[in-house]
Amino acid sequence: MNRRPADPLSAVLAQPRLLAGLDLAGWDVVVRRARETALLGAVAHLARESVGWDAVPERPRRHLSGARRVARGNALALAWELECLEEPLSRLDAAPVLLKGAAYVAAGLPNAAGRIANDVDLLFPRDRLPRVESLLGWKGWVSSHLDAYDQRYYRRWMHELPPMRHARRGSTLDIHHNIVPETFAVHPDPARLLEQAVPVPGWPAYRVLCPAHMVLHAAAHLFSETEWDLALRDLYDIHCLAGCFAARDGEQFWLHLLEEAEALDLGRLLFYALRHAARRFATPVPDEAAARLRLAGPGPLRLAVLDAAFDGGFRPRAASSTGGRDAVARGVLFLRGHWLKMPPWLLARHLFHKAILARAKDRDGE
Amino acid sequence: MTVGELDAGRLRGALAGEGLDLETGPFVTRIRSTLDSVRRGLQTLYADFPAAEGSGFADFHVRVAASGGVRRWFRPQARFFVDGRSIFKPLARHQAFPMLEWGLNWCVAGYAHHYVMFHAAVVAKRGRAALLAAPPGAGKSTLCAALVSRGWRLLSDETALLDPETGLVHGMARPVSLKNESIDAVRAFAPDAFISPPCRDTVKGAVAHMRPPADSVARMREPARPAWLIFPRFEPGAATRLSFRDKGSAFMRLVTQSFNYAALGRTAFERTADLLERSRTYDFVYSRLDDAVETLGRIEPPAR
Repeated sequence: MNRRPADPLSAVLAQPRLLAGLDLAGWDVVVRRARETALLGAVAHLARESVGWDAVPERPRRHLSGARRVARGNALALAWELECLEEPLSRLDAAPVLLKGAAYVAAGLPNAAGRIANDVDLLFPRDRLPRVESLLGWKGWVSSHLDAYDQRYYRRWMHELPPMRHARRGSTLDIHHNIVPETFAVHPDPARLLEQAVPVPGWPAYRVLCPAHMVLHAAAHLFSETEWDLALRDLYDIHCLAGCFAARDGEQFWLHLLEEAEALDLGRLLFYALRHAARRFATPVPDEAAARLRLAGPGPLRLAVLDAAFDGGFRPRAASSTGGRDAVARGVLFLRGHWLKMPPWLLARHLFHKAILARAKDRDGE
Repeated sequence: MTVGELDAGRLRGALAGEGLDLETGPFVTRIRSTLDSVRRGLQTLYADFPAAEGSGFADFHVRVAASGGVRRWFRPQARFFVDGRSIFKPLARHQAFPMLEWGLNWCVAGYAHHYVMFHAAVVAKRGRAALLAAPPGAGKSTLCAALVSRGWRLLSDETALLDPETGLVHGMARPVSLKNESIDAVRAFAPDAFISPPCRDTVKGAVAHMRPPADSVARMREPARPAWLIFPRFEPGAATRLSFRDKGSAFMRLVTQSFNYAALGRTAFERTADLLERSRTYDFVYSRLDDAVETLGRIEPPAR
């Protein structure tokens, strides 16, 4: 049942030593698919670490070296942004929690190598948000969505404020108070995430989610998505994080992960995440953990349908022979994502606004 | 094998099948298209470029296709795909070839991060390169077309590729894109050059392409050492004026013309600074092409 869908990119991410055996036609597919899914930097990192730069033919190697430079530039820019944010945020009573890309870079996790983060994501207790906004406002950060409807959309229904943008540097900042939208089908308790957050060596002004929560956040983020363009990258994050924490903390990590998944009501999303990470990247999930997670999963019919949809969503478009089928899968995932994100009446209201009212307003503005 | 040496049938077959691997300087692009205008454009403008039937590794994979459905017949459209993803809005079908050219520029600007890239034309003489950096509409391509029809070697009319390892500039020697009045200006200045029939009503107005000199194509894999950084500006009726620009402001100006300066971070800063240090930097105002070419023909390279 756990057959791995044939995709040379997933194969080399799972087993980087296979990079040594790629011929030029193989590199052609890997580079294109990695470029499409923002994994070229990861492939470059793995190639250098596992098989050595010289094992890569010159033409593909140029693209890998470009991706490495871009990723290094991105990591430096991210670190600089975090340094700039230290001062205003140090006025809060508790260190903010870094999420996603910024957390991976700051904590030096294995998936950070070669990864690109386009913004900084931070988690705060909800009641601190007004203070956070005002502290950041003094430092040149402004809210990017000024339309009243968009503001209300974010503030009432989402798990984050409208993205903030730095007036001079142009960087963007996502201020979260939870890891899934307010209107989402399940409601994890953010207090639990904040309580168990852990310090980051080298970055005293920040914290990151504890290992179990970090994996759960990645799973919740990915499997509640409406856009699946970078899904393979997000699944690779889960693979790397689970592998790294399991290697470090062993059984403790798995026990805590399962416990927290149940406590936060994220068991089913974690089930999908680990199931597909194992299918694509052969992530080693202990049998006991897999069996316990299976209980949180859906019935067999629903699982078969969703597996097919997720497989389609994870398959890159470049060099694909199943383009039509995958497009249908993405369509299904798009609808599913919206369904989970908002109850139908709210979704209808939101779409009505975006389709009719917002467009009419755009026309008036012209 | 060059594009010109492939007979029409094989060229059509490659474009309709696995693709045509077109080599332009450091890049190989696998092109697929069943549109006749695309094949004709390649046959005439890329005649001297090496090509092969698609196999192995290609840097970019593109396809220019007719839109389906009602747009196949009613106001027919063309679409451009990179790796199966449509990246531009559809255009009127007769613009398929310019669309391919814009698409190739898009691929380079978006994916060739092993270079520091600048929006600049590059021409060379005796192994020393002049970068003509300017925003669209400043007359950079026109000047470039004029220079390469008077003995300068064409590296690029659009993108300068600075190799961060060697400090050398690479080009693709691709056709020079000419717009509106500049089409006739270059025709008059270089009557022997082959210029494609203009494609009208594009977003940029009428667009035509000049076939690159055969010698530039033969030497397209050869990079050149930057010697001059010139900010050209076409100004109707103005006298030709070449003036020094200080390196600090030249640096800042060049950075605004880079596609990936921010993405490459420190590498981009250091390599751009090296380039500035080793180049002479000028502002250049021109209106008459023969004066302009003569003036630039006299500038001396800096010591190596």
